[in-house]
Amino acid sequence: MTHSLHRRGDFESLKDDFVVLGCPATGVNKKGSAPKTQKFLSICYKHGPINLGDMKTGNIYNTTMDDILSRVTDGTIVQCTFDNREKIVSLLKDLKENRPGISVIISGVTDLVQQCMEEAGLGRIHSLEYSLGTWGKTERLSDFQILETVTMCGHAMISADLVRKMVRDVKRGRKTVEDACLELAKCCTCGNYNLTRGMKLFKELLSKYMVHSLY
Amino acid sequence: MGRIHTFKQHDKIPGRVFIEIDQDACTDCGMCLRANICPVNALHQPEDPWPREVRRILSNPFIEFAGSQVPGRGTEEMKTNDVKGTFLPGEVGIGIELGRPGVGAYFRDVEVVAMALMGANIGYQLAMENPVTHFMSDKTTGKLRDDVLNEKATSAIIEGKCKIEKLPEALAVLKGAAKKVNTVFSVEVITKVPPEGEIPIKPILERLGFWYSINSKNNMGLGLPAFKFYSDEK
Repeated sequence: MTHSLHRRGDFESLKDDFVVLGCPATGVNKKGSAPKTQKFLSICYKHGPINLGDMKTGNIYNTTMDDILSRVTDGTIVQCTFDNREKIVSLLKDLKENRPGISVIISGVTDLVQQCMEEAGLGRIHSLEYSLGTWGKTERLSDFQILETVTMCGHAMISADLVRKMVRDVKRGRKTVEDACLELAKCCTCGNYNLTRGMKLFKELLSKYMVHSLY
Repeated sequence: MGRIHTFKQHDKIPGRVFIEIDQDACTDCGMCLRANICPVNALHQPEDPWPREVRRILSNPFIEFAGSQVPGRGTEEMKTNDVKGTFLPGEVGIGIELGRPGVGAYFRDVEVVAMALMGANIGYQLAMENPVTHFMSDKTTGKLRDDVLNEKATSAIIEGKCKIEKLPEALAVLKGAAKKVNTVFSVEVITKVPPEGEIPIKPILERLGFWYSINSKNNMGLGLPAFKFYSDEK
């Protein structure tokens, strides 16, 4: 399960994009993990995530934090998305002091994640996973500008066509940029869609996509 | 996955146009239902029996595969490496996610890649709790059950590991398989980071000229109880 790994973008685009996961381990600490996961989630919430969710319940744009917290059971994997590194440093300091006991994973620019860990006094990354990109019939992929947005949802629940529709709706005056991005955020159940980055990317998309008819 | 619907004229009501979802292209991810986008509430998702059932298992993130006990398409892989020791020093995890991003993949293409990897004789050990492994009729060759081959998923991950010295051969095999499939696949590699010194897979990837991302998924090592990777660890 690598749904936060293959996000597209250059350093400038990804430097303020971090997905933090809390994951209990089957056969090790999954049994009785619900209170630990709730503790992890509550700590993350204190540090101001831009999105947060659990793939079986939804994210904060289609339900409430209380609902997400109350539906955590043993084995629930939760994810919180942050839009700046300072929040990650303060979160890691907090997690070091109040260790919930489940595994914590951060997807982000490797060098920045390592810097944040050092600033929080956590030392070196424990294990790491790199993306080697996309192989095969790459001519079937959407344009890079669309991929930057849709790859924020690793389960591919944000379709390229929906992004294009949102562009048309905004250009036709039917939606604001914020409303369009909120609609995209709702599709990404796990809460991996970074709304701050999403709005920035969407504004860039608007100037690049031509709409043939405004009606 | 792009447009999977067609506009059709109603044969009994003149002028009435309706949308029909291409059932072969649909992966049953359930997103259109959850998004509640149909203005006349005409969308429905039948409970399809085996083998079509695999589409939902792999594509709908709300559904948990009983074998992995993890919602979604894969396993815990490196996420719990700090407590489980799934990937030891000297080993490399290799994941191949067919259909990602946003293209989708038929299991016949998944089989092409799985059989290439298993047939390369590089000691690739499949993750047994992974759904794709579960759908294999022969786990030593990577052959999938015949009845799932024409089914399609939003994406399907082949997960496993081998010795780090076999990584170049594994990547060469995947390069060859990429020419044979009618979809895309995203490739990922996992390693334990040693307490000191270089990340072991970096020099290999750089020597072979493989691109790797500036962003990665990183285990913080905060899980308890910690797995002991080295004999001198406290």
